[in-house]
Amino acid sequence: MRDDQRHALEQFLAARAGANAVRIHEARLLSGGAIQENWALSATVTGGLHEGVLECVLRSDAPSGVAVSHSRAQEFALLQVAFRAGVTVPEPLWLGDTSVFGRDFFVMRKAKGTASGHRLVKEPGLGGDREVLVERLGEELARLHAVRPPVEGLSFLRTPTLSPALQGVKDSREFLDGHHTAFPALEWGLRWLEQHAPATPELVLTHRDFRTGNYMVDETGLTAVLDWEFAAWSDPLEDLGWFCARCWRFGQFDEEAGGMGSREALFRGYERVSGRRPERDAVFYWEVLAHVRWAVIAVQQGERHVSGQEPSLELALTAHVVPELELEVLRMTGGRHA
Amino acid sequence: MRECPDGAALLAIAREVLRKELLPLLPGDKAYAALMVANAMGIAERQLRQGEGPQQKEQQALAALLQREGTLAELNREFAARIRQGDFDEDAEARRLLWESTVQRVRESAPKALAAYSPSAARHVFV
Repeated sequence: MRDDQRHALEQFLAARAGANAVRIHEARLLSGGAIQENWALSATVTGGLHEGVLECVLRSDAPSGVAVSHSRAQEFALLQVAFRAGVTVPEPLWLGDTSVFGRDFFVMRKAKGTASGHRLVKEPGLGGDREVLVERLGEELARLHAVRPPVEGLSFLRTPTLSPALQGVKDSREFLDGHHTAFPALEWGLRWLEQHAPATPELVLTHRDFRTGNYMVDETGLTAVLDWEFAAWSDPLEDLGWFCARCWRFGQFDEEAGGMGSREALFRGYERVSGRRPERDAVFYWEVLAHVRWAVIAVQQGERHVSGQEPSLELALTAHVVPELELEVLRMTGGRHA
Repeated sequence: MRECPDGAALLAIAREVLRKELLPLLPGDKAYAALMVANAMGIAERQLRQGEGPQQKEQQALAALLQREGTLAELNREFAARIRQGDFDEDAEARRLLWESTVQRVRESAPKALAAYSPSAARHVFV
C-alpha cells in the first residue's frame, strides 16, 4: 500500500471511529480475490470507542470485476442486513469512497481463521467437529433466509419478475447469446432447467455463493460467512443446492455438504432454525443450476483473459473447468430424459 | 522436417522438471502459481497430442446430425440453438454426440475428472 493511501486511510479511520488518532502498522494484501482486493489492516486507535488495537479488513474493487457482482457500497449494506439478522459475518464498520483510497471500499472487523477450501478438506483439525460445523452452516442459512423483501437499504436488489429458476435460465441464455462461442452442453442443461423449473412461493434473501471456500473457520468452528457480492432475492433452496453441488466439494465427493460433512447435518441445522425441512429432490434442481451457473461464470472469468483485458493464468485456467462442469450437468440431467 | 522431440514431448519433460526439481524449492506462496503453470502445460501437451482429429470427427458428426455443412463453430452454434428449441429432447444420437464431445474436452482440460465417469456408468446414466 502506498504511503499516501495509508495516510488517507488513517485519517478516514480516525474520523469514523471518533478517535484522536489512528496509526496503521501493518497492511497486508490477502490472496484469492479475483473480483475484489482485500487488505488486512492492523491499527492502533487512540481515543474513542475503538481505543486499542483494531484488526480489520479493507475490501476494495479490483481493477476489473465481473459485471453481475455488487458494488462495495451494496455489499456493505448486505453485510449490515446479514449482521442484524444474526448471521455470523465480519462486523461491517465503515464505508469509504474513491477520495480516500482511489477506489470504493469498506472496512469490516477481521475474522479469525482460514477460508481456503483446499485446506479445509485436507486438514481435519480445521473447523472443529465437521458434522457440528455443517449443521451450524445450515442454521446460518436459515437465519439469512428469514430476511424477506422489502428491506430498507436493499432497494438495489432486483425483484425477479419470473420465478428465480426461470430468471436464472434467462440470464444465462442472454449471456451465451452474446458470447463468441456456443456451449451446447450448457444449452442442454438450461433446457432441462427450463422444463423442470419449480415455482418459488416466497422470495428470501439468499447469499448465492454460499460454499466451502467462502466461510472462515478456526480450530473450534465457524468464524464468518464471507463474499456477499452475489446476494439476491431468490429461492431459499438455491443456497442449499449451491452448497451441496458436487463441483464445490473440493474432491471430497462423499461428503455431500460442501466436501465437509453430511447433507443430513446441513438439512437438520436448517430445519431447526427455519422450521422447514429441505426436500432432497427439490434441492437437486438447484444443484443442476449450480453447475450451469458456475460454468457460465467460469466462461466469463476465462473471457477476461481471452479478451486481453486482464491477462492472468488463473483466469485462463478457469475457462478449462467448464468441460467437467458440463459433463456433470449431462450426467445429472440425462437419466431423466432417457 | 521438425526436430524430435516435438512440442508435446518438450512440454512433458519441461513439466517434469518444474514439478520435481523446481516446485519443492519454491516458497509456499509461489507453489500455487507453479502448479498452475504445470496444469497449463499439461493441457497444452494433451491438445497437441490429440491434434485436430477429435475436432474434425466432432464436425463431421454434427454435420450429419444437423444435415448441413459449416465450420465447427457454426455447427455448434446451430446445435445449441436447436437444443434450446427442444428439437433434440428425445434424440439419442444428439445425446451421444453431446456426451462424447464433452468427454473429449474433459480429456484435454481435466482428465482426472473422467475417473468418476467410466464408459459403462456414462452409458447407463446419460446415453
